[in-house]
Amino acid sequence: MADHRTDLLQGTLEMLTLKTLALEPMHGWGIAQRIQQMSQDVFLVTQGSLYPALVRMRRRGWVTTSWKITENNRRARYYELTAAGRRQLTVERATWARASTAINWILDSQYGLAGGTA
Amino acid sequence: MSLVSDLYERLRALFFRAREDREMHEELQFHVDMETERNRRSGMNTGEARRQGHLALGGVDQISEEVRDARGTRLLEDMKADVAYTARTLIRSPGFAIVAILTLAIGIGGSTAVYSAVDAVLIQPLPYQDPGQLVRLYMAYDYHNSDYHAWVTPVHFLDYRSRMSSFESTAALLTYSETGADIGRGDAGRRIRLLPVSADYFTVLRVPPALGRPFDRAAEDGPGAVADIGIGARSVVLSQSLWRQEFNGDPGAIGRTLVMNGEPFVVAGVMPAGFVDPIAGTIDAWIPMDLRAGKDVSNANNHYLTVIARLRPGLPIERAEAELDLLGTELAKQYPNAANSRARLYPLKEDVVGTSSRVLELMLGAVALVLILVCVNVANLLLVRASERTQEFALRSALGAERARLIRQLLIESLTLAIAGGAAGLVVARLGMSAIIVLGGGSIPRLSALHLEPRLLVFSFALSTLCAVGFGLAPALRAAQTEPGESLREQSRSATGGGARMRTREWLVAAQVALAFVLLVGTGLLVASIQRLRQVDLGFEPAAALAFELHLPDARYDSTARARFYDAFADQAGTLRGVTAVGGISKLPATGPYHQWGTQALTGPYANDERKGNVAAEQRIVSGRYFQAVNIPLLDGRLFDATDDARAPDRALVSKSLAEALFPGVRAVGQRLNTGGRVSEIIGVVGDVAVNAEGDPDQYVYHWHAQWAGDRNWALVQILRTSGSLDAAQADARALLTSMDPQLVMWKPMPLSDAVGQGEAQRTFTLRVLGCFAIVALALSALGLFGVLSYGVRLRTREFGIRMALGAQPGAIRRMVMRQGLTMTAIGTVAGLLGAVALSRIMVALVFKVSTFDPRVLGGAMLFMGCVAAIAAYLPARRATRVDPRTALQ
Repeated sequence: MADHRTDLLQGTLEMLTLKTLALEPMHGWGIAQRIQQMSQDVFLVTQGSLYPALVRMRRRGWVTTSWKITENNRRARYYELTAAGRRQLTVERATWARASTAINWILDSQYGLAGGTA
Repeated sequence: MSLVSDLYERLRALFFRAREDREMHEELQFHVDMETERNRRSGMNTGEARRQGHLALGGVDQISEEVRDARGTRLLEDMKADVAYTARTLIRSPGFAIVAILTLAIGIGGSTAVYSAVDAVLIQPLPYQDPGQLVRLYMAYDYHNSDYHAWVTPVHFLDYRSRMSSFESTAALLTYSETGADIGRGDAGRRIRLLPVSADYFTVLRVPPALGRPFDRAAEDGPGAVADIGIGARSVVLSQSLWRQEFNGDPGAIGRTLVMNGEPFVVAGVMPAGFVDPIAGTIDAWIPMDLRAGKDVSNANNHYLTVIARLRPGLPIERAEAELDLLGTELAKQYPNAANSRARLYPLKEDVVGTSSRVLELMLGAVALVLILVCVNVANLLLVRASERTQEFALRSALGAERARLIRQLLIESLTLAIAGGAAGLVVARLGMSAIIVLGGGSIPRLSALHLEPRLLVFSFALSTLCAVGFGLAPALRAAQTEPGESLREQSRSATGGGARMRTREWLVAAQVALAFVLLVGTGLLVASIQRLRQVDLGFEPAAALAFELHLPDARYDSTARARFYDAFADQAGTLRGVTAVGGISKLPATGPYHQWGTQALTGPYANDERKGNVAAEQRIVSGRYFQAVNIPLLDGRLFDATDDARAPDRALVSKSLAEALFPGVRAVGQRLNTGGRVSEIIGVVGDVAVNAEGDPDQYVYHWHAQWAGDRNWALVQILRTSGSLDAAQADARALLTSMDPQLVMWKPMPLSDAVGQGEAQRTFTLRVLGCFAIVALALSALGLFGVLSYGVRLRTREFGIRMALGAQPGAIRRMVMRQGLTMTAIGTVAGLLGAVALSRIMVALVFKVSTFDPRVLGGAMLFMGCVAAIAAYLPARRATRVDPRTALQ
């Protein structure tokens, strides 16, 4: 089961977290589960990088935290996107779009396959 | 906005750290629980589910660490931990910490104390405007060696003042120590220090009175002036403290009168607080000097003025000297009977600081050496410690500690040591400064003004920090370079000791030996110099005699009463128990030149020879049985006695060298000479005495106080020779004095040997300081040698074990370790010899009749160094032979 899972691409964890939180406030475990589900179990969120990332995001003012009671009646820290977080998501989406397009251009290009030099 | 939230979060994390950690734990626990729950639901048993949950999280502790990192307070938290850790490790090895801190304290404290002395005396010695323009003028004697400085005659001074265009202003001072004055009456009577000066004195120094006006030229011969004895108008400028004492700081004091020596003086001004004379030091009052033609003033051979001048701005001293040479040639023609007309200039700073600049340079050098030694020693300590802890660091870095963190840890450790050392150093500096003032106060000018300045505080801490970075970085980098695996393996491999690492420490020890050797040589040279000085024949016997000054206030004692009192005191004190002879003199021998008066032969072969028949001789006024009291032999004729009273013709005794200079080939007794404006008949010839502590002889004429009491108040120094103890003699003499006049003060009583030994005071002072440094240096280098060898022995324990198992004799092992230590010592000593060559350049001015390469001193220093090194090397060597092969090889 674990064999087809992949670590997240470098630098994408914060963007995916922002995206997840854009839907609704959530606790850390929920975020990890949601990313895993949404990626159809391809992406494995290393918990060791999730929590530090959350602290960093809070420091930057993208998320706020509050302790709430879960549906299972447990206390958990919930993360909620701020206005700055929403703006950041837009920025990251745009950056990601530009980058992935560019990467696709490179990968789809026939130029490199022509091989040797003249 | 993000900046604000960032700061807020960081601060919150820092101040509510406990709560943050608790919440984080709860959050992670929640995560684990949810993960466990999910696993359980997917069919695992509870234990496996929990294990998987933890596994997925990847270790709560590690995440906690990473989260803390993300909080951005990591650095501060780590620092706190490092400092606490440092404190714990230092407390765990107090020996290391104490040695390191003490070493630093000595280095930092010593250098701060000496630096402040150098700062006070050398760097800012003249608290006057544009001190670079100030010069002192000395006349030069033709018959003395070129180094001899003569004071200036008033005749020449007036010409310098009016004719030297290189001088902006010129002033004369009468710095003789008997120029005091008695103020007040009865029980309130006391003696103050008075400085007669010519009119331009305040202009030369550019310090006008804070209140009132300075003297002008008119004051030199104003109302009340007595040309004959050189006292100008009855006008006085007060020091700030005398003004406060006598007039309660009343600004209305200007124009009022102060009675000095029974005569009223009009207060002309008050000097600003803190003003001191560059040459005479603290003065209570200044009075004008009369320089009109008179008895003293008209004598072109009467050298008694101290002359200072201010050069025109930007004029080099050489140009002024060139003008002085030209003027000298003219003056020689103008005053054909003057023995000397040449003069030279010295920067006033150099004159005031004199050879003490050499002393302080030497001390500064010594302190620099000791400071380097200290740094080397502490670096060595830390190196040894760092390599002892290689294992610890290897373990820590294997367990995941970062390299930067380890370096930081070591840096914090050395910084902690340096700051503690700096703080302890401040205490040492305070003690050291008090010691410098006590030891050097008499021989180094203006040292009493020494105090710890805030600037020096900064200096001290800058030094300690510099040391910390200096010696902290090298071991830190070295420790960080160590590959954990290699180092852990090395534990078993280190049987022969890491070669390259030993090398650094060996060089450091050799350097320490070299520095200590240089200081040893300096100390040795001074010891030898002082020994030679003590062996100098001064021409009299300083031992077993007491000396003190006895001032008779003019207000209660006229000249007749003074003569009678001194005679009576000598007679009565002579009958005290144990006392064999008592006499007085105007200035003790071997304490420097004083009254140098032109002395002319009126009879004999040079009677009509203006040049050969004229010398500038030291004049002394004596009373009682002075010659017996100091043990100067009578060579011919007779000594003074009661028949030589004021009604008798003037009579004089001369020293042997003067008799030979003025009356060659004939008997001096019965000849006549002219000096101080009076004609005296020579009644006897006495032995030569030295004019200074170095034993340079000079020509002396002795006059009898009973005949010269009217000339001025001579304030004779009394000398009591006793066969008993000096303390008893002093107590008896004090009681006698009180019975004769209860208001009189026995001023500065001390053994005669101390009073005349003040010429060597500077050397003694230097010796003590240098000696202390040398001992510290020696101790440090011995410690360094010992430390490095001991460490080497510990590293090579296995090697020694193998050697001994293979049959090596303990003696061979001991020799091996000893050889290693003595090689370092030998290398250091050779380097130290080169250092001694450099040292000799400074030492030349301080040694006395000792070559700076004196083989006894160099040999002694080598022997001493060798012995200390041998002891320092022997202890580890002995330990090396005690290695038990079985334990060593296990």
